[in-house]
Amino acid sequence: MRKLYLSTLLLLLVCWCGTAFAQQTSVSGTVTGADNGIPLPGVSVIVKGTATGVTTAADGTFQVNVPAPESVLMFRFLGYEVQEVKVGNQRVFNVRLNLDNKQLQEVVVTALGIQREERSLGYATQEVKGEDLTLTKEQNVLGSLAGKVAGVQVTGASGASMGGTQKIKIRGVNSLTGSGEPLIVVDGTPISNANFAGRSGADYGNLAQDINSEDVESVNVLKGPAASALYGIRGQYGVIMITTKKGKRGAKKVDVQLNSAFSVEKASNFMPLQNHYGGGSTQTFRTLANGQPYVDGTDESWGPKMDGTPVRMIHSFYPQDPEYEKLTPFVPQPDNIKDYYETGHSLNNGISIAGGNENTAIRFSYNNTSIEGIEPNSWLKRNNLGLSASLDLSKKLTVSTNVNYATNNARRPSQGYYEGATNMVQWFQRSLSMDRLRDYKYPDGTYYQWNINRPNAQGVLSSFEPGDWNNPYFEAYENSNLDSRDRFFGDVGLTWEVLPSLKLSSFVRSDMFTQNLEHKEAAGGRYDDGYSVGKYQNKEMNYEFLGQYTKEWGDFSLNASLGANLYSRRYTYVSQATVGGLSSPGFYSIEASRERPTTSSYLQRKEIRSGYALMSLGYKDTYYIDASLRNDNSSTLPADNNSYWYPSVSGSLVFSELLQWQPLSYGKMRLSYAKAGSDLSPYGILPTYEVGGIYDGVNTLYVPDVLNNSDIKPSFSNAYEAGLDLRFFNNRFGVDFTYYQQRNKNQIINLRVPGTSGYTSARINAGLIENKGVELTLTGTPVQSENFTWDATFNLNRNRSMVKELYSDIDVYPLDNNTYSGVTIYLNSEVGEPFGSLVGNAYKRDPETGKKLIGKDNMPVFETNHNFGSVLPDLTGGLQNNFKIGKFNLGAMVDYQLGGQFFSWSRMLAVKSGQHAETAAMNDKGKNVRDPLSEGGGVKVEGIYAPGTIIDDVDVSGQPVTAYVDAKSYFRNNIGKNIYEEWLYDASYIKLREVRLGYTFEKSTLAWLPFNSVNLSLISRNPATIWQKAPKGLDPSELSTGSSSISWLETGQLITTRSYGVNLNITF
Amino acid sequence: MKKIYVLMLAGLLFGGCNDFADDINVNPNKPSVASGTQLIANAEFYLPGLNSAPQGEFFSQHLAETLYPGASLYNTVNFNYYGLYSGPLMNLETVLNTDDLDAKEGPVNNQLAVAKILKAYFFWNITDRWGDVPYSEALKGDDNFTPKYDTQEAIYNNLFQLLEEANSMVVPGKISNDIVYGGDAGKWQKLANTLRLLMALRLSEVDATKAQAEFNKALEAGTMTSNGDNFVYKHLPEEVNENYWYSQVGRQKRLWWALSENLVDHMKPVEDPRLPVFGNKNEEGYYVGLEYGKAEASNESKYSLLGTAIWKQDAPVYLVTYAQVLFAKAEAAKRGWIPGGDVAAADFYKEAISLSVLQWTGTTTGVSELLTQPGVAFEPAKAIEQIATQRWIHLFMNGYEAWAEWRRTGYPDLSAASGGKQVPTRQGYPTEEQFNNTANYNEAVQRQFGGTDGLYGQLWWDK
Repeated sequence: MRKLYLSTLLLLLVCWCGTAFAQQTSVSGTVTGADNGIPLPGVSVIVKGTATGVTTAADGTFQVNVPAPESVLMFRFLGYEVQEVKVGNQRVFNVRLNLDNKQLQEVVVTALGIQREERSLGYATQEVKGEDLTLTKEQNVLGSLAGKVAGVQVTGASGASMGGTQKIKIRGVNSLTGSGEPLIVVDGTPISNANFAGRSGADYGNLAQDINSEDVESVNVLKGPAASALYGIRGQYGVIMITTKKGKRGAKKVDVQLNSAFSVEKASNFMPLQNHYGGGSTQTFRTLANGQPYVDGTDESWGPKMDGTPVRMIHSFYPQDPEYEKLTPFVPQPDNIKDYYETGHSLNNGISIAGGNENTAIRFSYNNTSIEGIEPNSWLKRNNLGLSASLDLSKKLTVSTNVNYATNNARRPSQGYYEGATNMVQWFQRSLSMDRLRDYKYPDGTYYQWNINRPNAQGVLSSFEPGDWNNPYFEAYENSNLDSRDRFFGDVGLTWEVLPSLKLSSFVRSDMFTQNLEHKEAAGGRYDDGYSVGKYQNKEMNYEFLGQYTKEWGDFSLNASLGANLYSRRYTYVSQATVGGLSSPGFYSIEASRERPTTSSYLQRKEIRSGYALMSLGYKDTYYIDASLRNDNSSTLPADNNSYWYPSVSGSLVFSELLQWQPLSYGKMRLSYAKAGSDLSPYGILPTYEVGGIYDGVNTLYVPDVLNNSDIKPSFSNAYEAGLDLRFFNNRFGVDFTYYQQRNKNQIINLRVPGTSGYTSARINAGLIENKGVELTLTGTPVQSENFTWDATFNLNRNRSMVKELYSDIDVYPLDNNTYSGVTIYLNSEVGEPFGSLVGNAYKRDPETGKKLIGKDNMPVFETNHNFGSVLPDLTGGLQNNFKIGKFNLGAMVDYQLGGQFFSWSRMLAVKSGQHAETAAMNDKGKNVRDPLSEGGGVKVEGIYAPGTIIDDVDVSGQPVTAYVDAKSYFRNNIGKNIYEEWLYDASYIKLREVRLGYTFEKSTLAWLPFNSVNLSLISRNPATIWQKAPKGLDPSELSTGSSSISWLETGQLITTRSYGVNLNITF
Repeated sequence: MKKIYVLMLAGLLFGGCNDFADDINVNPNKPSVASGTQLIANAEFYLPGLNSAPQGEFFSQHLAETLYPGASLYNTVNFNYYGLYSGPLMNLETVLNTDDLDAKEGPVNNQLAVAKILKAYFFWNITDRWGDVPYSEALKGDDNFTPKYDTQEAIYNNLFQLLEEANSMVVPGKISNDIVYGGDAGKWQKLANTLRLLMALRLSEVDATKAQAEFNKALEAGTMTSNGDNFVYKHLPEEVNENYWYSQVGRQKRLWWALSENLVDHMKPVEDPRLPVFGNKNEEGYYVGLEYGKAEASNESKYSLLGTAIWKQDAPVYLVTYAQVLFAKAEAAKRGWIPGGDVAAADFYKEAISLSVLQWTGTTTGVSELLTQPGVAFEPAKAIEQIATQRWIHLFMNGYEAWAEWRRTGYPDLSAASGGKQVPTRQGYPTEEQFNNTANYNEAVQRQFGGTDGLYGQLWWDK
């Protein structure tokens, strides 16, 4: 079958090539507004009666091929009258469009790159211009979408990750697993957005970061299944369509742009910590045989008061240390964590060359990024190379290509519990000096580690190796996570205009990458030394055919497309790691493994074969109806159930055409229905065994924990959407409102089942999750004058994901969990509840009064499995403002989230380890909570005695208690261990994400230079959190933890960074 | 031309495009067939985990926590047993349900017998820790995701039967890939009968008649006869097969565990030759136990920390031992279940201590002195207490078993943890059961403990 496909495609190509080349003529020109003479960008220029169309560039210029002198060019632009011009022998057209309140037409790029009039669409799409994405040089193109599109939620990572994970969700959660990211399509080529990062360790980021944001012309977000229906299962969670900049046909002209940006990055948002008590587990110093008090390597700050007492600090036990055997004052190090972070730098240089002539358009770009992170010895280097070219072989036949190549090399900091520097807020001493730790290596090669076992009574250390935590500088300079990736994606295609109304095209598209990950663990740290290396290779090919037919008869217009796609993926990896240490220190090679190294090799193949058709009918440019049908055949489903169909229908009514009401420039209603489907990952059907450990030559196997299912069926979702698009007063103000509802049924999930069944999860079709929401976009130009213009866009999305059904007698689906010290907190989906409830230990309260129940020991009592509600936000969105003041341009981007919650592991541990400020605060008697209870210290606990509490043989159940309890017992062993309610925080925030202030020097002021224009801007990324409900030291907008699908858990994410820089853009 | 296009497109769109290569869904990265003995070997990997966990040692109060008291304060209520079901038990169940086990790996009967014995051993551990647990409906995969809880009594009865079957089905011949007994069928038989013996003893308080009957049946069938029959998991001096305690004390340098005061006070005054193996001397050169259950941190340099031999990388884990058989026989003689009365009881008791010393120290040096020490020397009037106490010492690092025997006999005297928390009498069910298997969970908790799934419910045999 596959062969038949290929031969068919080949045949098609051959047929086209065999056709005589008819001559096409290239015409070009500029479109300006008749009202003010300003060039109009984005005007659609269509060869009437054909599918050929372009849009004008930022300077109002266009270039288009016309088949014959009889051709008529139609110029359409939102808010302007349509103008038609017969081509004749003219080659250059300078067109002035008249304002028109009736006619509003915009061309948008829809699924499969089909250009459609905006008014004809019965579903929601939203576009972001490339210049809005590169406002402040965000490293990851998806991150720059935050707040800019209604219904698109971006959860990012700290800037310290240097392009780390930016997780994107469109219209909330549509799957029981919470996973499901939109498909990323660049110039028609679907690309991988995989993520190699786990919950902890280095955040390698999602792979869409390989897109050079400088190349992006626009991003169009196809939000619902109706919009993305033609992408089939891969577009189930929406599509992000990225169109890159292209060269222009027309008179010979070369545009050269240089872009250079430099920023500095600073760590910020430090958690408030106490500075009264230092390292140790009791408030009295330990002493050596000679009576000297000393501080040991305990990773807690429950120690003695830091009152300047001369003590032996850990370093004084190192014979190599200049302060060996010396007493030094025991004093607080209030800035020890701050001092660890450095000022980061990032430098971004790019050049693009674009040009063309009558039958050629070409653009070449190169971009170089070099970052030095805020954590010591963290860096990233990236190169992007881009080429897009098209050549008219004849009047009717065009060959085109897009080539994108990216290389990345980085040494990234680790995040999460037990990793990297983020543990310092969790387990550390307030008395450790960062300046001392920085000299982590003595001249004889011994490492200075703080978390070592105490010396003996004579002050001799038995080992220099730490127990749980490495010196952060040892981590930074001796251990390393290196990653590198080569990425290529692009396409080659032929487009044949068989008739003015019929266009056939065929493309071969490819996305491939090789990801290398490497870890070195040095000797002298808490682990055995070791080395691991992995090579991960992915190749995705798409062979695509599309026929488009466009015709107008009188009041009717028809747009029909027919297409086929063959998708194949091949993913392989080989990874290896040493075991039991290295044969000699510093010899980082698998061959150095002392014991049998672990190795694994992996191959995954997948194919999807698809066919699709789309028909759109319009009447009087007012009524439109669309219908589409797609058939997907996925190789991953059981053979007798692997073919499935899904239809979509949508309609729109441009009612402003009927109303003719002056203030309303444009009014459209839209309505759509679509069915979307999904398959599963490969190898989820047939039963297999797992390979287990090896014992003295005995190889073992075991039954996997996940039960495969050969009766699995594709799952379907039904989506309905209604919308209203209104624009007033010549488009000064616009309102775009959408209501949507999506019912996702019989999803393929790995249902967590009681382990007593023999499996921990089973792959089944289960559940019904219902998503409802509204999206609102307000656009406006509140002020518009010659010297001052203010443009604003406000986005808002409210989404509710409800779990309606699950599986026979199982009502709860645990999505994720986290266990620490024997206590587990779950992220569950429960029937009848919103998606993603946090479930865990809470204060046990009196059901009537709500008062905390207190036990015999005066400590709060807890209950297990309390449902704290959904982690998902109630509202998300953003506000984008652009001000033009003379030649100054000020842009500011604010994004927000209201509601949602997360659990903070760092905060819990900062308290548990006695570091957080609240563990050494004053109680209401004016005493430090750590002071002895007999002297008025202690933490105040209030509540009533729990039922059944008996003190001195008296039943005190229900009696009110006000007691003071030992701070360490309270924080460390009670609330810091058992009461997770304390560590849950509301995830609401309002954040100023991007600010840019620019000045444009026109050619007139630069006449003596060879520049067309120069723009100089001050940029700042993430300059301020305007408001957040969670306490300082946590950032609810940066909870992304690698590839996990829902952000609900903070385990020690990289620290927030603020970046300030300057950007220079030169056009020749 | 146009027509051909249309035809081709129609073919593309509507033709049979769903015939993929036959092997496209066959996972090339994993085996699709398994050998029975390799599944058994993997289940054996879970054996040391039944003992090697600090929690068990805290229930038995063999160990106390030095720097970071936490788990020893009995603050954790719920414990998870899912891993034992989806891990070793599912492997064993798969072996038992396989029709075509490969005789090239040893007699099929013996493969099945070993699977049954191991299954019984794992389930015995589970029910003694949690109480009623899923058994008859468990391990059925998608036939039943929410198995009901069987009563502990039913589980015991079933396990007796399972072990009897296993014992009687063994034929001559070794099975391969057995990392515990090297495929020795005779040793597996002895283990099966020893398990029956020890399980029978566990019923002494709830159903003495049945206990006695099962006890004698087990003896008749043939229990362990030497330390060479011990069910021991041997660790290897390599990272992937090392002792749990080595990763804690050796690798992570955790000086968190000291011998409890109770244990040292039982061993030091009588110069028990096992003490230098169990613990190290403190910094001043003495054996000092740490008071159990203190909430505040203790200076670890003042106490006897876990012995170096115990946390060696390849230190073995003693699961079921011959000395236990001897202690059981001593108790049975005292109870009159087997003939011989106090004389036999004394003999078995002495032999038990002697073989325990041999097991732990490698020699019997010092045994004769130990056996004459006051308190250790057999006193018929205090026999049950003495046997239980000496068994508790013998079961060092086998905390869950020692804890079960404490629950049955009440010896030795274990103290409450700070804050007044008594020694638990069971472990709470996995928290996930509350929402995953709600109806069955609620029924079991109601049936046994009147609705409270805590640490202090009493199990069926714990009267």
